[in-house]
Amino acid sequence: MISAYYFGSVALILIGLYAVLVKKNLLKILIGLGIMETGVNLLLISIGYVSGRSAPILSEGIGPNQAVDPIPQALVLTAIVIGVATTAMALSVAILIYEKYGTLNVEEIRRLRG
Amino acid sequence: MSGQFASLLIALPLISAFFIPVLKQIGKGLIKPFLILITALQTGIAAWVFKEVYTTGEPIIVFAGGWRPPIGINLYIGHFAALFVLIVAAISFLMAVFSLRAVEVEPIDKFAMLFLLLMLGATGMIATGDIFNLFVFMEITAITAYALTAYNKTGEAAEASMKYIVLGGIGSSFFLIGVALIYGSLGTLNMAQIAQLAGRINPVVAQVGLALIIFGLAVEAELFPLNAWAPDAYQAAPHPITVMFSAFVVKAGLYAMARILYIMSSTVRWSSVLKLLLVMATLTVVIAELSALRQRNVKRMIAYSSIAQIGLITLAFALGTAEGVEAGTFHMVNHAIVKALLFLAVGYVAITLDGAELEKFQGLGKRMPLTALAISVGAIATVGIPLFNVFWSKVRIIMATLDAGYLWAAALVLFASVVEAVYYFRLLHTMWFGKTGSKVGENTVVVAMLLFLLVLVVAIGIYPDYAWSLAKKAGEDIFNVAQYVKNVPLVEVGA
Repeated sequence: MISAYYFGSVALILIGLYAVLVKKNLLKILIGLGIMETGVNLLLISIGYVSGRSAPILSEGIGPNQAVDPIPQALVLTAIVIGVATTAMALSVAILIYEKYGTLNVEEIRRLRG
Repeated sequence: MSGQFASLLIALPLISAFFIPVLKQIGKGLIKPFLILITALQTGIAAWVFKEVYTTGEPIIVFAGGWRPPIGINLYIGHFAALFVLIVAAISFLMAVFSLRAVEVEPIDKFAMLFLLLMLGATGMIATGDIFNLFVFMEITAITAYALTAYNKTGEAAEASMKYIVLGGIGSSFFLIGVALIYGSLGTLNMAQIAQLAGRINPVVAQVGLALIIFGLAVEAELFPLNAWAPDAYQAAPHPITVMFSAFVVKAGLYAMARILYIMSSTVRWSSVLKLLLVMATLTVVIAELSALRQRNVKRMIAYSSIAQIGLITLAFALGTAEGVEAGTFHMVNHAIVKALLFLAVGYVAITLDGAELEKFQGLGKRMPLTALAISVGAIATVGIPLFNVFWSKVRIIMATLDAGYLWAAALVLFASVVEAVYYFRLLHTMWFGKTGSKVGENTVVVAMLLFLLVLVVAIGIYPDYAWSLAKKAGEDIFNVAQYVKNVPLVEVGA
């Protein structure tokens, strides 16, 4: 039985990929990329989960043996920031494209050919 | 001096990039000289590291924060990394000088910052010994590359950048899934420890994880199904940035791919991943060369040619033999020099004559003789004529392919070289036998850089032995995984 977390995160990745491949509107493609990144982050986090343990913060009553794997959390923290930076970059380029081409339809944005 | 000073290779560009906004407040004129100064310093450090690694024969291992691997992140500057860090720094220095003339568009402070971060990202990708750290440096390289592609703020530049962002976004997501699978299975992110444990990994997880990582890196490394962004980005980016993409950003992706491929070489279904890569590489060579044939824009034509050469290097890495890896490394060095020469010369023509269409190159031999000479030498060298450097590496790659028993791959690659000769000789014919216009004055600095690269091309072509011995050591660094593991002092981690 595949855990719901794995199933959900892979489903999110596939939904994002579907949006990127099929949608014609540039903003929808970028939304798809965002969904995909969320799915990947969820997958990373769920890999580090150990059933029944708590957040990896050492405090009264919670020792190293009662915590989930802290490494994926550090990875996801980094990956989230990177995802946000990419999205910001992509949105500013999308604005530029709309100014220059007057459309966000990817089939009409085709000046570079060959 | 202690080897730990090699961490300056990362620290120096980073801190200088953050000083640029401060410098802009003092005066805009200072920014370009500052860029040249920093890249010159970086070249100096890289040269010191190079000398240190090649004279002692021992890799420099930098421990981040004094934590031993696999707990902390380590930088591994072996023969390969030392050689390529030097190439990255030297090409960046030449491009910083070229930027004096080539980049007039504002805002120059952001250009300088992104330029330094691009150099930092490529250096980090080559030097790191940790796969998640590799991902972070890859993203630094990628995001700065997106921004620099769109830097000219024309419609074409925005379009090219958007293609790159979408493909790069998918690629980095896939890479991260691959990292997650490997971490979930082995519980480590350190490359040396992965290599140690790779034999024990579940073969299906290893195969899927490795395939996803290669798929993700193939976007940066411009392999066939994922390289649609590359010719557009090369055409639309500022000229110095095109050189940097072709000369080292791609190489960093390729190197990361080769490194991860070989550290996983003890997994069960490794050869199936190699076959996948082999097919992708051969297709890259053939399709890129055929696309180059019908280009009218010279910069775009050379971009396709550059992609084809990358395919050739990947082919050599995908053979899985020591000869292949060494030949591929040698070709990486040669290709970095030749393509820097070609893109620099073509970029210079494009800013002087305002455009890189083939018509602009009519009679260039009379109008700008030294630049035309540089393009000619670059073109002839790329095709692989004896007495020029690329000949030696191409021959070695084809020999290694035949040794590994892939006759079809060698035949296709040789066929592609014929196609390559056709479009390069068409360019040469247009340049030297076209109608002539008036003579144009050539900038001394640019010509000096062109001649320097030209001399390198010919020198390696006539005396290949020294460069070959460097590349052989660098190739061993990738291929000999047992030695790599032995070099990294791993500490035991309690359960």
